[in-house]
Amino acid sequence: MELPNEQKIEIESGLKRLILIELVLPTALLILGIYHGLMQVLYRAGHIHARKVLGLEYYQGLTLHGVVNAIVFTTFFAVAFGYAVIRFYLGHVNMKVAWLSFTLMVAGTLLAAAAILSGTSSVLYTFYPPLRAHPAFYIGLTLVVVGSWIAFFNWLPIYFTWKREHPDEKTPLAVVGIFAAFIVWLIATIPVAIEIIFMLIPWSLGWVPTVNVPLARMLFWFFGHPLVYFWLLPTYVMYYTMLPKVSGGKLFSDFAGRLTFMWLILYSAPVGIHHQFTEPGISSTWKFVHAFFTLLVAVPSFATAFVMAASMELGARERGGRGLLGWWKQLPYTDTKRWLFGYFFCGLVIFILGGVTGIINASYNLDTVVHNTSWMPAHFHQTVAGPVFLSYIGMTLFLVAKLMGKEIKLPRMNVWVPYVWTLGIMIFSAGQYVTGATGEPRRTNMGLTYANPESPLYHADWRIGGMSASVGGTIMAIAALMFFIVFFTTLFGKSTKRGSLELVVSEPYHDENVRAVQSFTPWLVGAALLLVIAYTPPIAQTLRSNFPGAPAYTPDRPTPINPPKR
Amino acid sequence: MTPALKLERRILIIAVAFVLILFGLAAMAINLFHVGLPTCLTDIKPFQKGEFITHSPTHYEVHYVAKMWDFEPKEVTVPAGSTVDIYVSTPDVTHGLILLGTNLNLMVVPGVVNYARVKLDEARTYQLLCHEYCGTGHERMAANLRVVDAATFTAPKPAPAAPSQQTGDSMAKLLEAKDCLTCHSMDGSDGIGPTFKGMFGRKTKLKDGTTITADEAYLREAILNPSATVVDGFDDVMPKPELTEEEASALIEYLKNLK
Repeated sequence: MELPNEQKIEIESGLKRLILIELVLPTALLILGIYHGLMQVLYRAGHIHARKVLGLEYYQGLTLHGVVNAIVFTTFFAVAFGYAVIRFYLGHVNMKVAWLSFTLMVAGTLLAAAAILSGTSSVLYTFYPPLRAHPAFYIGLTLVVVGSWIAFFNWLPIYFTWKREHPDEKTPLAVVGIFAAFIVWLIATIPVAIEIIFMLIPWSLGWVPTVNVPLARMLFWFFGHPLVYFWLLPTYVMYYTMLPKVSGGKLFSDFAGRLTFMWLILYSAPVGIHHQFTEPGISSTWKFVHAFFTLLVAVPSFATAFVMAASMELGARERGGRGLLGWWKQLPYTDTKRWLFGYFFCGLVIFILGGVTGIINASYNLDTVVHNTSWMPAHFHQTVAGPVFLSYIGMTLFLVAKLMGKEIKLPRMNVWVPYVWTLGIMIFSAGQYVTGATGEPRRTNMGLTYANPESPLYHADWRIGGMSASVGGTIMAIAALMFFIVFFTTLFGKSTKRGSLELVVSEPYHDENVRAVQSFTPWLVGAALLLVIAYTPPIAQTLRSNFPGAPAYTPDRPTPINPPKR
Repeated sequence: MTPALKLERRILIIAVAFVLILFGLAAMAINLFHVGLPTCLTDIKPFQKGEFITHSPTHYEVHYVAKMWDFEPKEVTVPAGSTVDIYVSTPDVTHGLILLGTNLNLMVVPGVVNYARVKLDEARTYQLLCHEYCGTGHERMAANLRVVDAATFTAPKPAPAAPSQQTGDSMAKLLEAKDCLTCHSMDGSDGIGPTFKGMFGRKTKLKDGTTITADEAYLREAILNPSATVVDGFDDVMPKPELTEEEASALIEYLKNLK
């Protein structure tokens, strides 16, 4: 992509190598994660009636799919993209600290992957106790998280120095977004670190006999929802700072971007109980409070939808678009010079459905219709596997090509990747929304029973969901294959010029200096207050002494690993 | 204020108003349609035994035990038009309970009892199934709640006397108590493990490729040392049961007669 006034900087080879490995390694792992995504839809459609295929068991593969795609790939990308943004806008990072963070994250990934592949940790990526994984699984995840914290701590002094040297300047919008992402990540990962380090690791090693399951679940979802904003924030950084320029225009509102980032710091976390609406042990009053905050966290996404449409319109009119709606024809949908457009635009289109269904899930009593049904994977694939996935793989390809000074190979195939993916995900979700609303369970090897005509539990009425997921899932796998072909032929192609760090930088269309969104401090204080209010009473409820603790189980035996003495 | 900023402010107000209206609708539904969410119960302890309790001809209470990988009771019957209070508890891991065709949707969490009330007007068989991953047998964890015409409904009587001899009845109890029946059925259908019916004397292919006849010596080995004798087509998942020598011998005698 050669845009006018493109900004590039030469960077030191150490940082270049670090960013490249942090982008290429998880992309390679993604092959494994997507492979089981494809296998899963084939089981669920009833094309496979078996526990395992090629040595990979269904629930083991499901664990791998979740951990690789949703934890490893996303965290590595966010860290690599964060380094790119910080270096590009602010200045030099400390390489020793950067490599320490990198080493921890890679070691953690390898440990967790070994635990899953050995078959001793088929507990899914939510690892609900008292199903117990191998201790290496928990330790590996902890190392990945701690490594990502260290990356963030590496950027903080650079930010403070920059602020001191530029007292009258607004912090660059992309930096605000990346910091918002990692502030949300820090808020989210502290409770889950407490769950893993103080509860699950000692328990999985047999040092303590039982675990408080309601508390563990609450700490998990304290993490589990802000996690999705940690995924979404780097995507929003790309939308606000790059999409306007790629469309040929300007960012309609710099203020809306800053407000969105600050709003997500405020409301990302006091919402986790909306994942626990149907659970015992939490009073319905506090479920209601979390439902309220969850709906408020949808507001910045409405604002983003508006600003993105407005920015694209500015771009289209700049390119000669006319009329009330006629300008839509003037966007660079399949322009190989502006190929990032498709990766951003398709994500926005998918996110309309993902956002609407998210509001349904958050709406308190409506959740009883869809909780833990196939509606859920239909919904969250249209968020994390829509805007997040497409922008992440698009930016991975962009950064790798620029850093290595390579031309994109197979550019025609490349521009079609996001559109094929979008077609696939729409079909994947459509049928599952329908059958999910009638109760088809998620996280279930349907091929053995509910999608098996020979089983007494066979549900003919659910076949449509399984078939739509398998057709859509296969199309998604084809899109992913197209991407991998483009990515790896580009990666192993010849360098044509000196590599440099480049980011697309959009100018603002109008640029107010609204004071309320210039400083993190008031929003951080607000977030802390909301968290104390929203979580103190529910956590106190899980600590009631009359809930007995649970001993550990492996998924394959209906008896505890160490039976309690009778 | 510039026109653009005005436009943005209007969009923000519309977005906030929109989500507040949605929130208001959810709140209204609690009162108008009586659809709430389960809350925190503190006066009931987790239970180990499934139960069906009749409060009145139109009001029943079921205590479901969700365990790896079955519900207890497996089947209950109520007359159409009944209100059913459902309590659910688990002795092992996390499960779910969804009653298909209704809005009853509960998580089953170790240590805490969950509760919801459902009104069942239509005479049909409702299926309830586990919707949270709970291990190897998760996908077969289901049960039935039958609703019959009020005219044909007869209240459940205490369990009928044992059809077989004394020993058979106590053996069935032992199999239940040791959780054997979670995986091995008595009716000829294979589950997580092979069925008990007709097991004795059957020619059986093992995972290591050898074929054996299930005689007394084989059954003793299979019961006391399960991992050494895995049948082809099944996984090596059976835990060593806690059986005394006498119990194991009695069990083998019992299996000999279960044709």
